[in-house]
Amino acid sequence: MGAPRIDPVPDRDSAHYWAALAQGRLELPHCRNCGHWTWPARPICSWCQGENLVWEPVEGTGEVHSWIVTHQPYGPAFVDKVPFTVVLVRLDEQRDILIPGPLESDVNVTQGLRVRAAPERVSDTVGLITWKTDAQDNG
Amino acid sequence: MNEARSRFPRSQAAVVGIGCTEFSRDSGVSVFTLATRAVKAAVADAGLRPSDIDGLATFGTNDSIAPNLLAPALGMKNLNFYVDQWYGGSVSLSMLGQAALAVSSGVADCVVCYRAINGRSESRLNGSATTVARQPWDMAVKSSAGIVAPAQEIALAARSHMERYGTTSEDLGRIAVLSRGNALNNERAMMRTPMTMDDYLESRWIVDPFRKFDCCLETDGAVAIVVVSADRAKDLPHRPVLIRGAAWGGGVNVVNNGHEDLSQSPATSMAPRLYEAAGLGPSDIDFAEFYDCFTYTVLSQLEGYGFAEPGGVPDMLADGAFDRASGSLPINTHGGLLSEGYLHGLNHVYEAVEQIRGEAGDRQVDAHDVALVTGQLGYVSGYSSAAVLVGA
Repeated sequence: MGAPRIDPVPDRDSAHYWAALAQGRLELPHCRNCGHWTWPARPICSWCQGENLVWEPVEGTGEVHSWIVTHQPYGPAFVDKVPFTVVLVRLDEQRDILIPGPLESDVNVTQGLRVRAAPERVSDTVGLITWKTDAQDNG
Repeated sequence: MNEARSRFPRSQAAVVGIGCTEFSRDSGVSVFTLATRAVKAAVADAGLRPSDIDGLATFGTNDSIAPNLLAPALGMKNLNFYVDQWYGGSVSLSMLGQAALAVSSGVADCVVCYRAINGRSESRLNGSATTVARQPWDMAVKSSAGIVAPAQEIALAARSHMERYGTTSEDLGRIAVLSRGNALNNERAMMRTPMTMDDYLESRWIVDPFRKFDCCLETDGAVAIVVVSADRAKDLPHRPVLIRGAAWGGGVNVVNNGHEDLSQSPATSMAPRLYEAAGLGPSDIDFAEFYDCFTYTVLSQLEGYGFAEPGGVPDMLADGAFDRASGSLPINTHGGLLSEGYLHGLNHVYEAVEQIRGEAGDRQVDAHDVALVTGQLGYVSGYSSAAVLVGA
């Protein structure tokens, strides 16, 4: 169960993203000037180029745009994990934000499948997303 | 923002020499050795000597040999121009474009573009080397999600296309089978045993929707390409292959916001600028060598460079439109990265030059004056590059 994952090394631009996930929240930089969200985190807004970005939580919901099932063991960490499914999720807040992550369990994945981000704590400074269907969330 | 304007110095630079080593699974020698052998072969092919070189251009992910190491080995004490570019096949044609700028402006007289790699025996490109690669923040987004190999990123795009247009495994398989067919009589090709559609469909999953035969090879070897001004090219032995136009750019990969639909070819954003640079359009192209790290990138580029409507490639494949012997647009005439070898795209330039010279032997296409050669179209790094080459 689950995907092989390489823990990120937070840097000055990304540290808040990983730390918020460790606390169970999916937060993205939100532009106070023009209202757009940025993905992944960057020091300026990619629409208005302002620095007036504030980390704010998103709903964490979206729909599957694409998915893959990895069978090839890319290194030792993969051997016990393959095959596993990774989905690319279009976030409800903004159509051009596509966030990858493992899909929990072997639900019959289709384009448009509704999913919700389930952050999991790895350490005090790092959390990671798994995507779950609403049915999994309720069950 | 995608203005098609370009002031590329059209046809002012030419490829005058090509060289390569054997393409194998284990070269038994260093990347440094491979680079020197390919460069010496290319310079000799051009009728020049190493002392004539004053520029070197390469690319890679810490797995090639840098110009500042190669130059002293070649006896160069006055390097006038270098490119040492991070990244892989997405930048393969930007080498050629930058060399053309250098020699047409007079910054350099003779630039050798090269790529050397022990891609199977030392630095495999299948994701296992990720931990030693540069780790920009967007790569952490991918690797923390279990995405460590280009096959995974491009499979996401392929799935999106399959969902939107009904593209099938058999459609991708036709590209694999076509490429293998073109490799059969190519003495450089690593894969020279016939492949059937059944062979393709029975090959194991790598990353569903990609099977083993959707994926390019891993190769030890090197390719080098000599570029001089078009004026100087007239005095050299071979038919000059003019760099009619080139474009490189891009900038948005799979995990940066800016895409809404991965089924749409990223090449559509660069193709207008390339064609503007060349003063030609898709109907002028005689044959094309498309960057085929995976079967799907061929399909996506056929759309993006204007040879098919979105979703239109499968019918054209079935009709033989891209067959080497009889198609309206022969593609990947050497077998490509899928069946010749994976020299990160520079072997596409080698093949295009042989075809334009009319020296491709049994592989020779009938109409061979104008070639489109492309790099990876931007799914992984965001960058892309391409060139139009014409015979003088």
